[in-house]
This record gives sequence, structure tokens and C-alpha cells, in this order.
Amino acid sequence: MSFRHILAITRKEFNHILRDRSTMILVVFTPLVMLLLMAYALTVELQHIPIAILDYDRSATSRDFVQQIVSGNDLDLYAQVGSIAEIEDLLMHGDVKAALVIDPNFSRDLLAMRGMPMQVIIDGTEPESGGFAVEHIASRAEEFANKALSTQIQMMGFSADALNPLDLRIRTWYNPGLKPRNDLIPGLISMVLGMPALSVALALAHEREHGTMEQLMATPIGRGELLIGKMIPYIVAGLVNVVILPLLAISWFNVPFNGSFPLFFALSALFMFAVLSMGIIIGVFMKSQAAAMGVSFLMIFFPGFFLTGIFFPIVSMPEIMRLESLGMPGTHYATITRGIFLPGVGMEILWPYAVMLVLLGFSFTGIASLFFKKKLG
Amino acid sequence: MTPAIITNNLTKRFGDFTAVNGINFEAKRGEIFGFLGPNGSGKTTTIRMMLGLLAPSAGDVQALGISVKGNQAELQQRVGYMSQRFSLYNDLTVQQNLQFYGAAYGLNNTDLKSRIQDALVMAGLEGRENAKTKDLSGGWRQRLALSAAILHRPELIFLDEPTAGVDPISRRAFWDLLYQLVADGVSVFVTTHYMDEAEHCHRLAFIQRGNIIARGTPAEIKKNMMQGQVLEIASSDAVNTIKILRAAESLDLQEVELYGSLVHVVAQNVEKKKKDIQKLLKKEKIQIEDMAVIEASLEDVFIASMK
Repeated sequence: MSFRHILAITRKEFNHILRDRSTMILVVFTPLVMLLLMAYALTVELQHIPIAILDYDRSATSRDFVQQIVSGNDLDLYAQVGSIAEIEDLLMHGDVKAALVIDPNFSRDLLAMRGMPMQVIIDGTEPESGGFAVEHIASRAEEFANKALSTQIQMMGFSADALNPLDLRIRTWYNPGLKPRNDLIPGLISMVLGMPALSVALALAHEREHGTMEQLMATPIGRGELLIGKMIPYIVAGLVNVVILPLLAISWFNVPFNGSFPLFFALSALFMFAVLSMGIIIGVFMKSQAAAMGVSFLMIFFPGFFLTGIFFPIVSMPEIMRLESLGMPGTHYATITRGIFLPGVGMEILWPYAVMLVLLGFSFTGIASLFFKKKLG
Repeated sequence: MTPAIITNNLTKRFGDFTAVNGINFEAKRGEIFGFLGPNGSGKTTTIRMMLGLLAPSAGDVQALGISVKGNQAELQQRVGYMSQRFSLYNDLTVQQNLQFYGAAYGLNNTDLKSRIQDALVMAGLEGRENAKTKDLSGGWRQRLALSAAILHRPELIFLDEPTAGVDPISRRAFWDLLYQLVADGVSVFVTTHYMDEAEHCHRLAFIQRGNIIARGTPAEIKKNMMQGQVLEIASSDAVNTIKILRAAESLDLQEVELYGSLVHVVAQNVEKKKKDIQKLLKKEKIQIEDMAVIEASLEDVFIASMK
């Protein structure tokens, strides 16, 4: 290993990146832009879902109930209609996502403690909004029924608590309020920080595609020196993001950062090493940039999405996928980022994941340099 | 001194296809050795084996007195290479390219600075250090690529079709640089399919479909390879002249080829056949403006030997 050879490659690679602004922006800012886009796209809070209401009962109680359903920001009353046909028309045009039909016997049955007959119709082509409306209506209806019934029960001389034998008190640790972004963003950070792996795979494939690889192979630069020299600039670019992204998460998305930043930085550097080694493997095997691009998405980003547990819990995966997820640097790093951001844990908990990153990094570079002969053909 | 290159039964097979078929030749030190052949004849494969970038299927090659096999690292430090495809980074500047190749060969900063200066002078690119390489014209880029390939002062350089697609004046300038290098004691191995360039080499080997079909100095090759002499004919209708002469079996001509507006005829005892040719063409109402036996060019030899 010659330091001078590595430096020669690294310097050249930096020159490539700095040669024009667009490449630099691509390498440095892609993770930032991806994080912003995905954070917003994936945590849309449903609000103001338009619904229609068909009230066959037309009693003071049913009017009261309708009032409760549409108060607040969740559901908006688009129209009070007179027939099912009108509901169909509104759903068809997409003006409402759900409709509530109140039975003619609504108030009579409620007062007689025979239930609270009603129907909810939802647009199945938008299950997200429809499901949200159902949930909202159900919970409001339960509240409404409880209140109505407890008055009656009390009049009959019972305690209102008889209606609610369950006394469940939920405490959410680490992420009070269960804010979805608090959990999602540290996970997303682990995913978008894998972007430099694509850049390094492309950089290697570029040398092949343009014939400069042959010239490189004719120089005394060793294959290990070549691979390490190629990785360094992208590790640096990645580490810039390791600083920028948490700052964005904290200041813009108000995600709490409870752990140690130096630890986060150090473990992120390990992750960079591991994930860039994956990029190197791809670059070693792929002969063209187009192929390298496709395989990077297949090998790094799709698994990053599905296998690392950011969106789908690993414990609920089939066995084979769980094994595969262990081979992904992102799996371990996602655990690290979430652990450091929210509960703020330290090495005493995270060391196995750090060890895995080191192991993966060395195995990947090992495989890459094994197959990357200083030979053609 | 040991020869610059010796190949011994050097062979490369790709599956069923034999790209290089047991070739033997020797290139002397301080000479330009030309490796001639049509596209796909095995020139690049041979160079790659000499550089250790491809492992031979059989045989071996020695460069600068050491076997390439197992000594790749040492040799790579002592030889230079300019690959067929443009070997510089187009998106980097002249300075950045030179800096990279210098550092790749382990030059320290002080050496690098003065060598880059020399290279810029040699390539005629002083003052254009910060130009992007892709903005240079073909001839400048080839000269830059050559200066980059010799930054580390190699004893032997391999050039694979260095002047392909470069204008004639730039080609001439490039060859002047090669002569300069040879004068400084560097050995040059160059592949080409330009016949005029082949004439400038000290020694040549002709390769065709992986086999060497001729070797020697340009003069030797012309003497040994050419069966018969060349008759040059300037006529009023070159195209029909070729048709008629090719059809005339009784004359026993080996070759009838168009040479610009002239016709070259190759045959044994061509002097004696002049009369018959004259007669035949006159019968077909073609006027002969000039007709003379000339010295065969390498191109004549090349075409004759390719048959």
C-alpha cells in the first residue's frame, strides 16, 4: 500500500467531483433533498377529509351527533344529502371520500339502549382517507354513545364506570405523542446516507466505460489502492451529510436528538465504509454506468427501503428476508440512528451493530478486491 | 543489452477464437518497432499481454530483460503505455491529468513540478495548463497523452494506434516527438495501420489474423515479401484499366490495384510484360500517359501479402 498512490486517486476523484457544480450538488445535496421529500411525502397527516351525511332520523340527537362528527379539523361536512343516489354521485366525482348514513331509528334505539344504528360508506379506491374517516367516526360515535348511556345509567342508580371496566393508561416512551416523523426521520437518514454508494459505483463504471480503466491498470497503482482512493472522496461527502442531516432533523423537523453526536458521527463513518464497499462491489462487476445504476437501486435502495426495517418491522418478515436484512449495512445503521436520536443510547447497546458494520465493510471490500483483478477480459 | 521486447510463442485464445497465434519477434532497444496489421488482427491483444493486462494462453513475453509474468508491478514502473482509446480524463484540465499520472507513478512533488513543465513544453501546451482536456483538438490531446505516458521517464513505451483519427500534420508532429524520444534512448513499440507511418519505423512485424506474416526492416520486408515488381500505370481510364488487366489471364499478373488515380500492377518480369499490356489497353482504346517500374511501397507489400 502506497500512500502516494491512494492520494493520487483520491485527488483525481475530488477533481472529478469538483469539476462542475452539478456533480458536486449531486453528490453532496442529493441525500438532503431526498430526506426532505420523503419526510414530507411519507408523513402526510390526514386532515379535512370531505364527507357527506344522510340523516334519515332528523332528530335533535342525530343533529347533535353530526355536529360532533364534523367538529375539529379531521372531517369536513361537504354536504347534507337527502338520498343514497346523491351520495353515490358525490363519491363518484371524488367530492367526498366517505359518507355517513344515519338510520331513521337512531335516536329511538339509542335512548332505548338498543344500539346506535348507522352506516358508513367509503371510497375503496382511496382506502387511506376512507379508513381514516371510519376510524374517526367510530371513535366519536363511541364517545357519543358513552355520554348518552352514562346519563341513563346514572339515572338508573349505577356508576358510570360500569360502562368502562377497562382502565388502560398508555405511556409512550422515547417518542411521547407517537409523532411519526420522530421515528421516520432517523430511519430515513440512514437510508439517504447510502446515496454515495451509488456515486462510487458510477465512478468505477465510468472508468470502464471510457477506457481509462485500462490506462489505470497499466500504472503501478495497486487494486486495493485504487479502490480505497476511490472511496475516500465519497466518504468525505457522506460525512458532510452526517453533520447536515441531523441538524436539519433537529431544527426543521423538531426531531429530538438525545444521544451523543460524536458517537453518531463515528458510527456513521463506519456505515459509510460499509455501504460504500457495497457500491465498490457493484462498480467492480458492472461494465457500464447504466448497469451500475440499475443494480445499485436493486441492491442498495430497494433493500434499504424494504429490508432495513425503516418501514416494515424486521420481526414480521419471512426468515429468508430477515437473514438478508442482516447483510445490509442499512439495517444496522437504522437501528443505530434511531437508538441515538430517540432513546439516546450509547455504545453499551449499540456495539453489536457497530461490529456488524465493520464486518460487512471488510467482507465487501475483501470480495471486491478479490474479484477486481488488475487484468482485462 | 537485452532486447526491449522478446516474445516466445506468445498466444492468446478467447474460447475457440485464437486472437494471437504463437508469435515470435524481438524489438531492439532504442528503436521504433512498428506492429502493423488490419483492425482485429490481434495488435491490441498483443500489447495487453506485453503489459501484463492479459494473461497469455501459452508462451511468454519478456520486456526490458525480465519476464512480464510475475513482474508486472516492477515493469509497470519502467514502461509507459498509451492505450488505443483516449487515455486521459476529458473532464479534467491538462494540469490535473499530468499531475494524476505523475503521482500514479510515484513522482514526488518537486520532480512532478519540473516534469510537468517539461511535458507542457513537449506537447506545446504551455499556458494552457488550465484548459479542459476535452476542449483540445485531437492532435494536441495525442501529444498530451504521450507526454503523460512518459512523465515517469519509462525505458520502453507502448503506443496503441496513437495517431488514429488525427490529421496528417499532427501525425507528423507526433512522429517527430517519437524520434526525439528514441534519440534519448527510449524504446518504442507502436501499432498502426497507416503505411506511411510504418515506413518511419526501424523495424516492423506484420500481423494478420493473429499470425506474424513478415518481419524485418522496411527495406528487408519490401525485398523479401514482394514476389515480383511493381509497374505504375497512368492512363486515361484507371477503372477500366483495372477491369481489363484483371481479366487478362494470359498476362499472369499477381496484383492489379488502384492507387489514387494510378494503377499498380505486380508481376514477375514485369518489364517484359509492358509491351503486352500496352497492346491490350490500346485495343480497348485506353490511352497510357505514363508507365514505369517503381520501387514497391509498404502498402504494395501489405496488400500483396494479405491475399
